[in-house]
Amino acid sequence: MAEDEEEGYRWESGYEKTWEAIQEDEAGLLDSSVADLVARAKRARLHRARPHVRLGIMRHLYLVLDASEAMFVQDLKPTRLICCLKILEGYVQEFFDQNPISQLGIIVTKNKRAEVVCELGGNPIKVIEHLRKLSSAPCVGEPSLMNALELAASSLRTMPSHASREVLVLMASLTTCDPGNINATIQSLCKEKIRCSVIGLAAELRITRHLAQETGGEYAVCLDDSHLRDLTMAHVQPPPAVAHMEAALIRIGFPSHNTSADSPGKLSYCMCHLNGPAPPEGPDRGGYLCPQCYSKHCELPVDCATCGLTLMSAPHLARSYHHLFPLEPFEEVERPPGGPPQHCAACRARIDTQKLVSVGGAAVCGGGGFGRNVMLLRSDEVFSTVPCAEPSQSLFLFQSCCLVLEKVFFECMLKYK
Amino acid sequence: MRLNVDGLLVYFPYDYIYPEQFSYMLELKKGLDAKGHLVLEMPSGTGKTISLLSLIVSYMLERPLEITKLVYCSRTVPEIEKVLEELAKLNRFIEKQTGQKTKLVGLAVSSRKNLCIHPEVSQEREGKVVDSRCYGLTAGYVRARAARADTAAGDGDGADPVPTCQFFEQLEESGRDATLQAGIYSLDDLKHYGRERGWCPYFVARRAIQQANIIVYSYHYLLDPKIAEVVSKEIVQSSVVVFDEAHNIDNVCIDSMSVHINKRMLERCSNNISAMEKRIANLKETDAARLQDEYQRMVDGLRDAQMKRENNQLLANPVLPDQILQEAVPGNIRTAEHFLNFMKRLVEYLKMRLRVQHVVQESPAGFLKDIFNKICVDRKPLRFCAERLTSMIRTLELTDMADLSPLVLVSHFATLVSTYTKGFTIIVEPSDDKTPNVYNPILYFRCLDSSLAIKPVFERYQSVVITSGTLSPLDMYPKILDFHPVIITSFTMTLARPCILPMIVTKGNDQVTISSKFESREDPAVIRNYGNLLVDMVTAVPDGVVCFFTSYMYMESVVSSWYDQGIITQLQKHKLLFIETQDAAETSLALLNYIQACENGRGAVLLSVARGKVSEGVDFDHHLGRCVLMFGIPYMYTQSRILKARLEYLRDTFQIRENDFLTFDAVRHASQCVGRAMRGKTDYGIMVFADKRFQRSDKRTKLPLWIQEHLKDSMCNLSTEEAVQISKRWLRRMAQPFSRQDQLGISLLTLQQLQSEEMQNKMRERVTHRI
Repeated sequence: MAEDEEEGYRWESGYEKTWEAIQEDEAGLLDSSVADLVARAKRARLHRARPHVRLGIMRHLYLVLDASEAMFVQDLKPTRLICCLKILEGYVQEFFDQNPISQLGIIVTKNKRAEVVCELGGNPIKVIEHLRKLSSAPCVGEPSLMNALELAASSLRTMPSHASREVLVLMASLTTCDPGNINATIQSLCKEKIRCSVIGLAAELRITRHLAQETGGEYAVCLDDSHLRDLTMAHVQPPPAVAHMEAALIRIGFPSHNTSADSPGKLSYCMCHLNGPAPPEGPDRGGYLCPQCYSKHCELPVDCATCGLTLMSAPHLARSYHHLFPLEPFEEVERPPGGPPQHCAACRARIDTQKLVSVGGAAVCGGGGFGRNVMLLRSDEVFSTVPCAEPSQSLFLFQSCCLVLEKVFFECMLKYK
Repeated sequence: MRLNVDGLLVYFPYDYIYPEQFSYMLELKKGLDAKGHLVLEMPSGTGKTISLLSLIVSYMLERPLEITKLVYCSRTVPEIEKVLEELAKLNRFIEKQTGQKTKLVGLAVSSRKNLCIHPEVSQEREGKVVDSRCYGLTAGYVRARAARADTAAGDGDGADPVPTCQFFEQLEESGRDATLQAGIYSLDDLKHYGRERGWCPYFVARRAIQQANIIVYSYHYLLDPKIAEVVSKEIVQSSVVVFDEAHNIDNVCIDSMSVHINKRMLERCSNNISAMEKRIANLKETDAARLQDEYQRMVDGLRDAQMKRENNQLLANPVLPDQILQEAVPGNIRTAEHFLNFMKRLVEYLKMRLRVQHVVQESPAGFLKDIFNKICVDRKPLRFCAERLTSMIRTLELTDMADLSPLVLVSHFATLVSTYTKGFTIIVEPSDDKTPNVYNPILYFRCLDSSLAIKPVFERYQSVVITSGTLSPLDMYPKILDFHPVIITSFTMTLARPCILPMIVTKGNDQVTISSKFESREDPAVIRNYGNLLVDMVTAVPDGVVCFFTSYMYMESVVSSWYDQGIITQLQKHKLLFIETQDAAETSLALLNYIQACENGRGAVLLSVARGKVSEGVDFDHHLGRCVLMFGIPYMYTQSRILKARLEYLRDTFQIRENDFLTFDAVRHASQCVGRAMRGKTDYGIMVFADKRFQRSDKRTKLPLWIQEHLKDSMCNLSTEEAVQISKRWLRRMAQPFSRQDQLGISLLTLQQLQSEEMQNKMRERVTHRI
C-alpha cells in the first residue's frame, strides 16, 4: 500500500492533536510514551537471543479469520475484512517462502458458526485463491471462537507429532458466542500442544489473551494497518519447538527441473492443473518430475499428487535452515583511539566514524552511530533507524556489507534470487 | 528495601516502590512528628495500606515511647484480612532484616459472628443471634447458676446442668492472665489459636486489645459509642488511629447515633414489656432479695457497680462518654415495676406520636417539652433509661437479647433525645419515601452533626489519619468533622502510560444535551441518547462495562424506556445485561454471572446504582470493568426532610452552603463509582461522566486530583461519537504489551532510583498541599 493511502483521510481518522504528540512529557503521559513502548517491544523481539532453541520448521498452521459483523467496521481501510485479507495474502506468500515444508489452512467463523474454507495444504496458490474469494463473502452475526478452535483442533490432532501445530486467530469482534465452556476447549488445546496466537483488531479481549497465554502463543492488538502487517508477519518465523516434539526422518524428493529449452521431454500438462481449467499457455515441456513416480508438477514445494511424496528443491530446505542459525546481532564497538584507519570488511570503504559495527569480529561500516544489536535483514524498520543523511546510500552500504559475511550472503541470495 | 524517610529507617517489604508511596510516607511522617491529624488522598491500587503500615510500624520500632499503638480501622471483613496479610508480610520482612524476632503483637478484632468457635453458636447466620446466644452462655449470672447447678448435682440433687461455653470457661480458668505471644494474628489465626488451646478467640482478642501494638477492626468499634464504650475504652492516648477508605466516614458517624422507630417495633416493645412484667412477678415470689439488691445498687449509683462486671457489658450507653451522668438513678425508676410502667407510658406516647397524617418535624427540646406536658415524663429519668434497662435485664437474667432489641432501641432513643438538644432532629413521616402511598409511619431521630461521634476520637488520640482514594474536595472533611488537621494532601498516580481515560460526554450524536437534572430527566430524547451512548460504548469496549444510575427509580424508568426504544435488544447483541436490584441475594447472583460472562469472552453490562452495594464494595479490576459510565450526577434525594434538616444545620453551624455540600456529596459518590474500574497500575479503564453539568468547574474541580489530572480540556465537552472514537484508539494503545520493565524508573522505583536527586525533586513537585 502506498504511503498516503495508509493514513486515510484526515477527517476519517478522528481528532488528533499532532502538536501534543511531539511534546516531551516528563511523566510520560502522552501518546509518545505508548509509541515508545511499541517500538521497544519490537526491538526486543528482533534481538531476542535464542541461540540454542529448537525450532519446528515443519509447521501446520490454521488461520482462523473472524468474519462477523465487526469485520465491516472501517477503521482499517477500506474495511477490516479487506485489509486483513490483503495482509494475509502477503503473509501466506511469505509463510510458504520461509517455511517451505509446512502446511496452512483457513477457518472462517461467523454467525455463531465456524467452517473450514481451505483444508491444510502446502500450495500457496490454492490458499490465496480461497482468501480472494472471501472478500466478497458477507460478514454477519457474532463469531464463535470455541467452534473455530474445536474445528482446528479436530484437524490438527491427527498431525504427526514431529510437526508443530499452530492456530493464528484474527479477531475483530469483542464478543464470542459459544455453545459451551470455552475454558474446557482451551484446556484440551493445551493438552494437544496446539499453540494458539491471537491478533486482535480492536481491543484487548480477556479470553483471547488468556487463550494465547495458556497455549504458549502470542497475543497482540494492532494499532493500525501497518502495525497489523508487522504483527502478522512476525508469525512467519517458526516458533520454538515444543519439548515433547519427537525427531523423525521424513522422505523428501528433490525433483530435477526440466526447462523447455534443454530437455527433449514431451508436451504435457502438469498434475497441478490437470483437474482445473487448462493453463492459458497450453501444455508445456518443462516442469518438475517426481523422482518416485515421474508425475510432473509446475511449482515447488508441493506434495506429489500421485504418490504423496513431499517434493521440494534444495534451496527451499536451506531456506528453512536459516531460522535455525540466525544471523548474529550486530555489535557496536568503540574504535581504539589513535589506531590505524579501519576499513570496512565488506566494501573496503574507510571508516571515519568513532563507532564501528562488528559482526563476528569483522568490522563493517554502518553509517552513523546507530544502536547496538541492529538486525538489518529484511526488516524494513531497521533501515529507517539509521540516522544517515542519505538513506539510499546507507541502504547500499548495508547490502554491500552483507555480501561478505557468509550467512548474510546466503540471506541476500534468497532475497534477490 | 530499607528506606530513609526524613531520617527515619523504614522497613518496606517490597523490592520496588511507587514514587507516590514514598511521598505518602513522607507526609505521614511529618504528621506523626507533629502529633496532629492528617487527611491524605491517594488513588486505590497504589499501595496505601502497606505505606501506612510500613511507616507507622517502623516509627513504633524506632521511637516506642512516642507511638505505642496503631489502631487501623477498615470497612469490611475482607479488607481487614487484607490489612493483616500485608502486616504479616511486613513483620516477616522486619524479622529477616533485623535477624531477631519482633515483639509486635498485631491482631484483628471482629464480632462474635466471625470469631466464634462454639460448635452450635458458630453455626448461626445472623450476628445479633450469635451475640445473644453467646451472652446466654457466658454472662456472669449464667455461669454462677451453672456453678450452683454443678454443686447441686455433686450433692446428688437431680438439678439440670446449665449449659455454658466450654471455651470461655477454659479461658477463664487458665488463660486469664496469659498474654498473646508476639506475632500477627488474622481472624483465622485467632480461631486456630483458640482451637488449639480451647480458649474462646473472641474474648482472647478482646482482652488482647490492651496488650497489642496493632489492632485492626471495623470503624464501628471506635465510632459507635455503644460499641466503643465496651471495646475501645482502654486504648491508650498515644495511639495512632487510621481510618482507611474513609470517604463515607461522616455517614458512619451519623448512623451510629441515629434511631428509627416504626409501628411494628413499638408493638414488639409492648410485648417485651409485658413479658418482663410477668418475669418480675415471678421473681418477686421466688427471689425478692435480688430485686432489693438491685434497688440498693440504684441508690449507690450504677456506674461503680458496673465497673466490676466486664464481660456482662453487652449493652452500653448510646451516648458519648463525656455525656454520661455520674450520679444515682432518679427515684421514680428505681424499682423494677416503676421502671416498666415508665417504659410503658413512653411506648404508648410514641405510638400516639406515630399516629400522624402529615409530616412533623421537631427539635429534641420541643419533643421533651411535649412529652412532659402529655405524660409528665421528666428529662432526667429519660436520660437514665438505657442504663436502667441494662441493669434490669441483668437482674432478671434475661439472655435472649435479639428478642429484646426493640425495647433496647426505644431506651436508646430516650437517652439520646434527652441528652442532646443540639445537632439532632426528630421527624415523623406518615409513609416511606420509596412507597409514598402506603401508610407506614416512621419516627426518625436523626443526628445531623457528624462531628459529634468522632469528636472523642480526635480529642483522645494523638494522631488520627483519614485516608481514601476519593476524598476530594479535601477541605470539606475537616469542616464537617470539625477538626484541625496539620496536613491535608492529595497524591496523584505516577503512570508509565495514560491508563485512565476520563471523559465528560455532554451531548448525544443529535446534539441533544444529556443530563439527569430534574427537568430533562424523563425526556425521551435524553433517555434515548443515554441508550445510544451505552450501545456505542458497548460495541467499542471489550469484556465488562459497568453503568451507574443516580437512583433505583431512575434506573427502572430508563430501562423500561430503553426496552420500548429497542436499545436493550441492541445491547444484547454485543453483551449480556445484568441489573443490580435492592435484593442483596439477587444482586450477588447477578454479579457472579456478570463475572462469568466477562471471563469467557461473551462480555457483559452491569446496570447499577450509585450509593448501592455495587458502587461501595465491589471492585471491577482489569477485564471486569474496562469502562464505567456514570449517567447523571448522583445527587441525594433533595426532597428528603432529613437531608433538608442536615443542610440547614450545616449552614447554621459550619457555614457550609447547601449547594456546596450537595455537590461535594454527589461528586464524591460519582468518583467513588468510576474509581471502581481502576484498581492498580497495570489496570486500565475508561471513565465516562455522562452529564452536561460535570463540565462546570464547580463539579470538575471537586473530582479527585488523580482523575482531574487526566481530564484534559479537550475531553470535557464530547458528543457520543467523539467519545467512542477516542476510546477506540485509546483501547488499542492500552492493549499493547506492558511489562514491569516499562514501568521501572517512571512509576516503579528501585532503591537507587528512589534515592536519585532528580526523582526526589520530581516527587516534591507532584505533591499538592492544600493547607
